[in-house]
Amino acid sequence: MTDTLKSICEQCIHLKTPKLEFIPVGFARHRQVILRDPAELVSAATKNHEKTVVILSGCVLESVLFSFIQSQEAYIASRRGNFTFNPDRSVDNFVSIFNRWFRDILPGVVLPDLMVDYRDLVHINRELNAAEDICESASRDMLRIVDRLLGELNQFADRSNAPPSQGQKISDIGQRLWKGMVRLWNWVRTVSRMELTSPDLWRIVVSPTFP
Amino acid sequence: MANLAQLDLGARGREVRLRALLEDLIEYHKGVYPNGPLALAVWFGKNPNHEDNSLLELFSQIPVDRIAGPTRISLHWKSGINELPFVNVYASSVEFFSDQLHANPAALAAYLENFEVLFFDKQRLTESVLRSFNVVTEPLGLVKGWYLSSDEYARFKSLRGLMSAYGHAKPALGLVKTEESSDFENCRGLLHVEVNQRWLPISPEALSVYSFYNDFQDGRPGYLLFQGGSHYRIVKFEVKTAPDYSNRVLEKPRDDRYPEVYLRAVHSPENA
Repeated sequence: MTDTLKSICEQCIHLKTPKLEFIPVGFARHRQVILRDPAELVSAATKNHEKTVVILSGCVLESVLFSFIQSQEAYIASRRGNFTFNPDRSVDNFVSIFNRWFRDILPGVVLPDLMVDYRDLVHINRELNAAEDICESASRDMLRIVDRLLGELNQFADRSNAPPSQGQKISDIGQRLWKGMVRLWNWVRTVSRMELTSPDLWRIVVSPTFP
Repeated sequence: MANLAQLDLGARGREVRLRALLEDLIEYHKGVYPNGPLALAVWFGKNPNHEDNSLLELFSQIPVDRIAGPTRISLHWKSGINELPFVNVYASSVEFFSDQLHANPAALAAYLENFEVLFFDKQRLTESVLRSFNVVTEPLGLVKGWYLSSDEYARFKSLRGLMSAYGHAKPALGLVKTEESSDFENCRGLLHVEVNQRWLPISPEALSVYSFYNDFQDGRPGYLLFQGGSHYRIVKFEVKTAPDYSNRVLEKPRDDRYPEVYLRAVHSPENA
């Protein structure tokens, strides 16, 4: 016989005692909402309420991604060139952003598109077009994935908040040195391509934007 | 080490920033026509050093019989500034573009030159458009299907029953076979799931969130049913380093580690 939702839930330590380290201190209301929903989800799972678990897991998934992506706006912007969090987007957009920018650093929690389909089971038409046992399988997968997501995000936050080790410090210095060298190199290339008169060169060198 | 002179970081930075600005515009255009959602956005004639860029947008089910445009838009439109860089937007419908691909491909040559697909919705695109823009969403040989627990499998007395229960549903899993016995009784392969519209192999780290793996770990038999009716019993899982599998998947993992599933064919539910 398949695992009951109750037995799966007992193994979901991150759902049962959510730490929410990844939510910044300033996001008090986010934290309040996200703390409430997993508690209700655990309660529904304990009673083996499959459909409720599917829908509530979808809510938790959306609110966790919403808060996480919002808090990582600067990180995504640094990788993408620019990024402004849009709170009006739907869960499929949040899943897509998460997979695109965090799949390489959090490989254990890639979110399949199926998660969005499961969340959409709130609409009867979606359920009618799915397999007969969809709520049974979806509730189990959703519970495990949401639990994994919470765990990985907390680990990610721990890593980000931890004081840098000696090795990391050396690596940071190395990276800064490398960036400086690259900027200097680009500048030398720019200058060498230009036929500069001395006032031009002076203007570039004393320019506050250099390097 | 790469030659420092070959690393044009400035150009790369410009390209990343341009792409982000174009994607922001595309994001806005997704909802421009309530009854004609955006299906494809392609940056064509791509040259990040140019201040004027070109974007082709295909919308689904909008009644047009031409490629409209170009409409010149500043990529700083959000801030209300009409400044460089600009984008020339060409817009049409998926249906018209597909027809033209067959009827007059020469007229579309410019759109297929040095392009990058920035957005696609594969459900709304035709096979010919997907092929023309080289939108590959599935690895070669992928079979799609569903996981069935032993309880679920036991409910069905025939393959017909199984197929009528699952055949209409969206597939949840994919399998790319890496080996199959000559009598087709045993096979092994890489399990896939759909991530951002592309079928990608499940990583060893992600394996443990799926029911098919957990049920197996708990000693419960599990079955995979695939489109067309073939179905298998899960025999074992094995995680292995296999760099040679990289040509069988759309995206190779950093460490070349793949979980491989071993399957045995089942001929009808009664024989399970």
